[in-house]
Formats: sequence, structure tokens, C-alpha cells
Amino acid sequence: MADKITVGYTHLSGCTGCTVALADNYAGLLTLLDKYVDLKYMPTLADARHIQQVDVSFVEGSVCINDKLAVEEIKETREKSAIVVALGGCACYGNITRFSRGGQQNQPAHEAYLPIGDLIKVDVYIPGCAPTPQMIRNVAVMAYLLLKGTKEQKDLATAFLTPLMKLAAAGTSACFCELMTNVINQGLCMGCGTCAAACPVNAITMEYGKPQGERDLCIKCGACYSQCPRSFFNTDVISQYEAINEAIMAALQ
Amino acid sequence: MSKVVEISPTTRHEGHSKLVLKVNDQGIIETGNWCSITPVRGVEKLAVGKTPEQVPKIASRVCGICPIAHCLAATEAMEASIKCEIPNDAKMLRHILQLANRCHSIALHDILILPDFYIPGTETKINPFTAEEPVRSVAKRIQRLREIGQTIGQIAGGDCIHPRNTRIGGMYRNVSEQAKTKMYDLAKEGLTLSHQQAEFMIAVIRNYHNRDFVDVGGMKVPMPKTLGYHNQGYLATHAFYGSTSMDECPSWDINRFKEARPYDWYMGEMEVTLEEPKYPIGGTTKMGTKVNPQMEACTGIPMYDGQPVEVGPRARLVRYKNFDMKGTKGQNIAREMEYQDCFYEMIDCIDALNTSGKVVADYIPNGDGSLGWASNEAPRGTDVHIARVNDWKVQYFSMLVPTTWNFATCSKALEGAPWQLAEVIMRGYDPCVSCATHMIVLDEENKMIAQKLIQ
Amino acid sequence: MGAELGNYKSCVSARSTDKELLKHAQDGGIVTSLFAFALEEGIIDGAIVAANKEFAAKYPSKCMMDNSNFDMIEPWRPIPAIVNTKAELIAAAGTKYNISPNVSLLKEATRSFGLDKIGIVGTPCQMQAVRKAQLYPIGMRDVGASIALAVGIFCMENFPYQSILQLVEDHAAMKLESVKKMEIGKGKFWVYGKRGQVVQLPLKITHKYEQPGCHVCLDYVANLADVSTGSVGSPDGWSTVMVRSKIGDSVWGKAMAAGCFETQPIEKVKPGLELVTKLANEKITKNKKTLEGRATFGVGKALRNPYI
Ligand SMILES: Cc1cc2nc3c(=O)[nH]c(=O)nc-3n(C[C@H](O)[C@H](O)[C@H](O)COP(=O)(O)OP(=O)(O)OC[C@H]3O[C@@H](n4cnc5c(N)ncnc54)[C@H](O)[C@@H]3O)c2cc1C
Ligand code: SF4
Ligand code: SF4
Ligand code: SF4
Ligand code: SF4
Repeated sequence: MADKITVGYTHLSGCTGCTVALADNYAGLLTLLDKYVDLKYMPTLADARHIQQVDVSFVEGSVCINDKLAVEEIKETREKSAIVVALGGCACYGNITRFSRGGQQNQPAHEAYLPIGDLIKVDVYIPGCAPTPQMIRNVAVMAYLLLKGTKEQKDLATAFLTPLMKLAAAGTSACFCELMTNVINQGLCMGCGTCAAACPVNAITMEYGKPQGERDLCIKCGACYSQCPRSFFNTDVISQYEAINEAIMAALQ
Repeated sequence: MSKVVEISPTTRHEGHSKLVLKVNDQGIIETGNWCSITPVRGVEKLAVGKTPEQVPKIASRVCGICPIAHCLAATEAMEASIKCEIPNDAKMLRHILQLANRCHSIALHDILILPDFYIPGTETKINPFTAEEPVRSVAKRIQRLREIGQTIGQIAGGDCIHPRNTRIGGMYRNVSEQAKTKMYDLAKEGLTLSHQQAEFMIAVIRNYHNRDFVDVGGMKVPMPKTLGYHNQGYLATHAFYGSTSMDECPSWDINRFKEARPYDWYMGEMEVTLEEPKYPIGGTTKMGTKVNPQMEACTGIPMYDGQPVEVGPRARLVRYKNFDMKGTKGQNIAREMEYQDCFYEMIDCIDALNTSGKVVADYIPNGDGSLGWASNEAPRGTDVHIARVNDWKVQYFSMLVPTTWNFATCSKALEGAPWQLAEVIMRGYDPCVSCATHMIVLDEENKMIAQKLIQ
Repeated sequence: MGAELGNYKSCVSARSTDKELLKHAQDGGIVTSLFAFALEEGIIDGAIVAANKEFAAKYPSKCMMDNSNFDMIEPWRPIPAIVNTKAELIAAAGTKYNISPNVSLLKEATRSFGLDKIGIVGTPCQMQAVRKAQLYPIGMRDVGASIALAVGIFCMENFPYQSILQLVEDHAAMKLESVKKMEIGKGKFWVYGKRGQVVQLPLKITHKYEQPGCHVCLDYVANLADVSTGSVGSPDGWSTVMVRSKIGDSVWGKAMAAGCFETQPIEKVKPGLELVTKLANEKITKNKKTLEGRATFGVGKALRNPYI
């Protein structure tokens, strides 16, 4: 038990799809809980009712600033966690809640939703809607290595997490436009098609080898940009893909 | 003298909700209010002015456990409004996707309710995540069943949490023969596992409800034989899938539907006068806290024929399969009984799927503002979406989601139970709360009707 | 061995032993033969390749189409597609010197195509995309573990479609539909006509037409592929093959044992690895300069560097 990292899960204005993604590690979830993660708080899967002191908090959903409880919860999460991970498009970038504009019963005043990074400092981003089970798993294993590993493992975990920390530092807004402004407009797109595959709503098609974004479909999840090999590419880490993947798979045996 | 106890937030279900209970000296619930406290993201309102293609993708994201039902009901409500018939193979893919989601959802619900129950023949409560047998094998089977459901959904729907393959007028792509074979193999495996899983769960559920007393945080609580009974009606629109306003004989009638606001239905301001620190985990709300369900609740109260009704697995089984077991026990057993049927039906749909058939309608109208609705039988019940599309813009959108239907019915079902078992009754409904945050009022009369009902 | 060729376990000059296949292949038919073998052995159950309009007409459901009207799809425009048989592989063989967004099919391969073991061919940057998708699968659920064989092709640069059109129709004065093969080699851009004519253009001309995104690319020989291959270093009709990963090693070993390829030691052939190294160095040096230039592009303003 002492060797595990303690983990909490704060659920704000999200749809629980992120929770399902976590559970979709299937048998791997059981191994994670057996060996690495002591799940202290998670309203859907665990019984604890109140936010607790933990090493790592995953936060799902954006914050409704018109809801006192939600604002308290995100602040309390920050105060009680060493590392805060924004899980999923809603927590990172607002996702569909960016479109909210209130006026609906029974709480017409619930109209303003912010990604958590607009209210607290966030350490790591996992964009996407839904985020993927494998990405959640990789971050969980790396967080474990960072906090409990040998020096070498700590270095690896730091190198792995750095781009996700930079995403967190870079801002709270993302949509197809990030591909336009930060990749295509910057003369960096080489037409691999990754963004089109990554988009969860088929908003991106490849026309003459370059991405076309149907902005009326985009839900602002940030997956296309962060998955694009020209958004970040930490060669040192990705070149070791074979060894790292093997290590992660072995850890989950 | 009745006392007020509050359990907030409730756990082991999706979203944020709480229970406010008025109990008598014996701790038996006299009036129970179960209400959502999830902020309202206002999907129905933000939909207005958007394209009918985007709205279902957003609607999917009101709930990550039955996103498929929302995505399909929203898509089909748009199609009903613009009057677009979709090809048969697109329908088959949607059916497969919907059933696949149900498999994963039932399995997830199993994980969430197991901690209430005992390992049969022992006094040990089940921790689904323990590495010890026999629980570990069950947990692995549950996860495998979820994997099967999610993988099939992913093939038919492009993605399994929020589907990517659905679109107005059908589906983006048909699947390959190879994919069809894969779905078939998985469904076959799932069928066997679901058999075993349902058998296990039904034994565990029976064992629990047949006890005289159950343990809740060290408290010995009497188990009523009528736990979760209510006298409300049932609503289901199809044994598996759903219905739309374009059907020849639609199985849902918009004229029999009315909705009231929680203001008319829930209890007003009160003070917590009973506090139980032993209640797992973290105790109930502190004495003296002010509570006000009327103002705090985030959902409306939908009614069919002027009454709240139950939707979900039992409603489907009562309506279509002569099922007659009542209460929380009946509800949990009904859910398990849907398991295998779900795979049988899925296998039929896979058989019927022609992988070279077209999956997009030839003509997709832009809509003239007509009202269209579509219901989809989500794992936890009837999900009805209503839409008006005019000139490829959404003018009006409403979602009557399963848990909204069930909030008021479940509140009734709480009456007569020891308050410590309120969460057990609530979990019988497999609540999915974050989607249950909407409200529509078709005409102002509704308010009157609701007030009379309460008096 | 410098870093410019990446890590590899072995390197040979090789050619497919299937003479029929070689007629359709670009160089030694390595990609097509290796995938055909892997399909037959069940190592992969489908492969993502760059097909064309004729293929799309025959197998529309196997392609990832863009929004062009089908009649308007021009000759030599690649269409990413999933193939399951040797005949389909052969139909997609040969190099198309313009962008084929093969990775756009990577997720769909595991969805509506139902693949469990995917083969994918692509340029070095596409291999980077694949590995990033495996290590940082942000929008690539359940994809990473399904990638069973990634074959990389050497790449100096790529072109937008319009560039190829202008190179062929303006500079080489040929209609695109009458072109049988295009090739970059020996410092020239070669265009072979169906009637047997051959036009060579100096690379000086092609530079203006290159895709700008290629100018920050630091990988020539697909360092992150399981197996990478290209014409450079080997005699005409042969390919240079670098076996890189455990998967690559195992598949290549099996294919060799099955007699799919004839090989010569890379040390024995001309021009050999020396030329590969030289070109790799040239590319990397040139593009590092571009990256440096981007850092001071504006006045006190830099263009973005994707590698940091
Ligand atoms: C843009 C580009 C630039 C290249 N530059 C060099 C170079 O500088 N030096 C060098 O040695 N080799 C280069 N090559 C590789 C070379 O042209 C051959 O593709 C390679 O040697 C494989 O030959 P083969 O006979 O083994 O393949 P084949 O058996 O002919 O198979 C080729 C495979 O590549 C796929 N393919 C074709 N075009 C593309 C494309 N645009 N994108 C992705 N996949 C595609 C085909 O679908 C086919 O499956 C380049 C290739 C491309 C596409
Ligand atoms: S990111 Fe997507 S899956 Fe996660 S909570 Fe938001 S809508 Fe749901
Ligand atoms: S993923 Fe990035 S580099 Fe690849 S096509 Fe999209 S924008 Fe271009
Ligand atoms: S284009 Fe797609 S992947 Fe990109 S942010 Fe929008 S929805 Fe997400
Ligand atoms: S030069 Fe680099 S970026 Fe351009 S196509 Fe080749 S590998 Fe991709």
C-alpha cells in the first residue's frame, strides 16, 4: 500500500465519458489499482464523498462559475493535490461547455463555464473527447514513476510528461483553429493525416493532402492539435517508443 | 416527530445528486427527494441556431455512459424533423451500436452496485476491486464484457464512448466483412459470458434482498421485503431500440406527456436534524445545514398521463415480456435479464447487416421547421429527444432523458424504506445524472397540473 | 555510425524474388512483398497504402476519400486505402510523389475495417506520427497495440499535388495521365512516359515546388519504422533495407527464410551506405538551418519549433 501513489478524481461539469475511458483499461485497470494506484476519491467508482489529500488528482469537466460548489471543489482539489491533471477536452479547453450560454431550466443562471486552468494552476493536460484509456494509463504509470521510481525512472517520467505540462502552460483554448494557427500557418504541416484520424467528430477531412476543418462540427476538444506530430515532438522520448511501450505493458502484466 | 437527513453527494453512479429524506422515529422514510445537483450545461438552449449535424455530437456529450442513446435519439429527432428516411443497413449499424453500449453499461452498473451486496454464504461485502477470489474472476469477467461491448460499438459506431460514425441521413461508413466477422465473434463470446455474469448477479441480488438485516456502516438495518416498491406506471417504447414520429405506429405519444418544474414538486427549505457520522463513507450532512431541494434541484419532472413513470430495464420487461417482479430487487434482476437478450438481438442484427449496402440517404432535406421526435431505449430507460429543424438550422431541441423520468418515480419508491437504504434504491435505477439536467415546458398548463398532484 | 541513420539492427541491399510484382514496384518491391508476406502469414490482417483512382473505382469502400467529386480526381493523386490481398497491394505499388495522408486511416482501420493487426507504409514523418500515436495516444484510442508492421520509405521531400502537375506538365511537357513512373535519383527528377519517353529535370527546378513542411524535417531514412527502405544506396532495381525494431527483425527474418527476397551485403554494393549517410546529413543539416532561421525569422519574433 505504502508504495502506491494516492489518486483522486474530481468530477465537475463533464459527462463521465472520461471516467468511462479510465475504466476502459479493462483488466489493466485492476492491475493499476492492485499495484500502483490507491484510489482515494472518485464519486462514480469509489464511495468516498469528499475530496482528500492526494498525490495526483484527475479532474474531469469544466467549472461552472455560477455554481458555488463547483468553484469550491476545484479550489479544494488544487489545495489538496501535489499534481493536478486536467483530464479530457472539457477540463483542458472547455470542449462543448464552451458553447454554453445559460437560460435553461431549472438553473437558468448556469451559463458560464471555464476550463479548470482559468481558475487554478494545472500541471498536466490530457486532451481529447473522450480521452483515451491508453493515454490515461500512460500518464498514471509515468506519475507513479515520477513519485516512486529510481532516479532514472524519474528522468524518463519527467521527459515523457514535459510536453503535456507545456500544453497545460500554453493555454485553455483549443479547437481546429490551433492546427491552422500553430501548424499550417506556421508552415509546419506535412500532410500526414493524423489530425483527421484523431478528431472525434469527423470535423477534419484531408483535401489534396492538407487538413480542412469543418468548424461547424468542431467541439473544441483539442485532440487534433495535440496529436499532430508537428505540435510537439520530443524526439528523445518518442525514439524510445519501443522500450517505453514495453515497460508500460510489463508494468501492467 | 419526523427528522431530516441528507446524503450528499450520492456515490457510485454517474453525475452529482443528493438525497433529502424526511424520516420518522424508526428511521423510515416518509418523504424522499432525490435530486440532481449537477450544473446545467444547457445543451437544449445552446443547440438553437446550430446545425442539425453538430447538435447530436454535442448531445452525445451530456452523458458518457449512455452517450449512444443521446447521440442516436438526437440524430433521429433531427431526421424526424426533416423527414429523412435512412437506409436499412445504417439502421442495423445503429442497432448494433446501441446494443453494444447496453452491454458495457450493464457491466459497469454491476461494478457500481456490487459493494452493497455480500459474497453469498458469507458476511463479507463485495469490494469489486479486491484481488481476492471469487471476486477477482467476476471483476475480470465484467471488464471483459465491457471490452466486448465497447469494441463492437467502436466498430459499428466509429468510437464507443462518443460515436463518430453516426450522421444525419445514416452513417459515415459501412463496415467491412472482416469487421462484421469480428463483431460476430465478439458477440458470441459475450453471449456466453453474459450468461455466467447474469447468473452470478441474480444469485447475489437475491441473497441480499432475502436477508432480514443488512449492514450499513456498522449499523444493522432491517431489510423490508417491499424495498423500492412504488405505485407509478411504466414507460418503454421498444424492447430494445426505440421509436420515432416517422414510424407508422409510434410507441410514444407526445400528447400524453407533460412536464412540471421541481419548484412545484420538491420539498422547500428545511434544516438537517439528523446526522449520522457512521454512514459510509464520510457520514451524512452536518446537523443544522439548510437544504432546499425545490431551489437546488436541476431537473424537471416529466409525466406521462399526468404521473411520473418508471423507465428502464424493468419497464421494458414489464411492457414487452410479462415481467412482474417489483421493487429494487426486481429492477436489478430485470437489468441482468436484459444481458443475454441484448447479445441475441445483436447477433441477429449482425446477421442482417449487408456490408456492401449503402448507409447514407440519397436525399437529405434541409427541414421546414416541423416537429420531430425520436426515442431511444438507453440502458437506463426511454430517452426522447424532440427537435425542429428549419433550413438546416436547429430551431428547437429538447431531451427527455431516462434519469429525469426516474427522479420523481424513485423519490416515491423511497417511501417506507429505512433511510440507510435510500442509496441502494437509488442505484437500482442505475442513475445517470449529468444528462438529467434539462427542462422543457410545452405549455403553461403543466404548472397547474403539478400543483394539484402535490396537494 | 552517426545518428543520421537512426538505430538499426541490420542493413542489406535487397530485391523481391517475385518477378511479376517487380514490374509494378518502384524499386526492389520491398514494401509490397513484405506486406504480401505478412498478410499471407497473418502477421498483419490489412495494410494502409497509397492507392489511386483506379483502385478507388474498384474498391470504393476501402478508401479514405476527400471531398473532391470522384470524376475530378486527377491521375497520380494518391488515395489512402486499406488492402487485404496481394493483388490489391500490387494495384497500389509504386511511388506517388505527392502527399498521401496515410495516417488518416489509422484509427478507421481498427473501426469499420475491423483490423487487429495493421500494416502501414509511410514517409519518415508519418512514422513519427505513428509512434507519437502509440506513446501519446491522445486521440487514438485502441490503435497503438494494433500496429503490427510499420514500413517507412526514405524521403528527402514531398510535394503538393499541384507541384507534380506543374513539374510534369510544364517542365517535363508531358500529360500526367500519360506518365508511367516518376522517380527521384542520381540528382534528378525522372519522368517516364507510357510510350517510352524519359525526361529528366535537375533538382534545382523542383525545390520551389517542395512542400514547406518538409523543410523542418530531420529524418531521411524513417528512423522510427520497423523496417525502412529506399532506393538510395543500392543499384537500380534494388532497395536499401534497414531493419530497426524487434518486430521488424522478426518479420524480415521470416520473410527471408520464406525466400521472399534476394539480398546482397550493403557493404558490397555501390554506392552503398556512404551515399545514404551523405544525403541524410545534407537533409538534416539543411533543415536544421531552416529551424535556426525560424528562431530569428521576424523582428524579435520566432516561428514555432515543433521539436521543443
Ligand atoms: C515523397 C517520397 C519521396 C521519396 N524520396 C526518396 C528518396 O529521397 N530516397 C529514396 O531512396 N527513396 C525515396 N522514396 C522512396 C522510394 O521512392 C520508394 O517508395 C521506396 O524505395 C519503396 O520502393 P519499393 O519498390 O520497395 O516499394 P513498392 O513495392 O513500390 O511500394 C511502395 C509503397 O509506398 C506507397 N506509397 C506510394 N506513394 C506514397 C506516398 N506519397 N506516401 C506514402 N506512401 C506512398 C505505395 O502505396 C506502396 O505501398 C520516396 C518516396 C516518396 C513517397
Ligand atoms: S471531455 Fe468529453 S468525455 Fe470527457 S467529460 Fe468532456 S464531453 Fe465528456
Ligand atoms: S496532423 Fe499536423 S502535420 Fe499531420 S496533417 Fe494534420 S496538421 Fe498536418
Ligand atoms: S477539429 Fe476535431 S479534434 Fe480538433 S478540436 Fe475540433 S473536435 Fe477536436
Ligand atoms: S521530407 Fe519529411 S516531412 Fe516531408 S514528406 Fe518526407 S518525411 Fe515527411
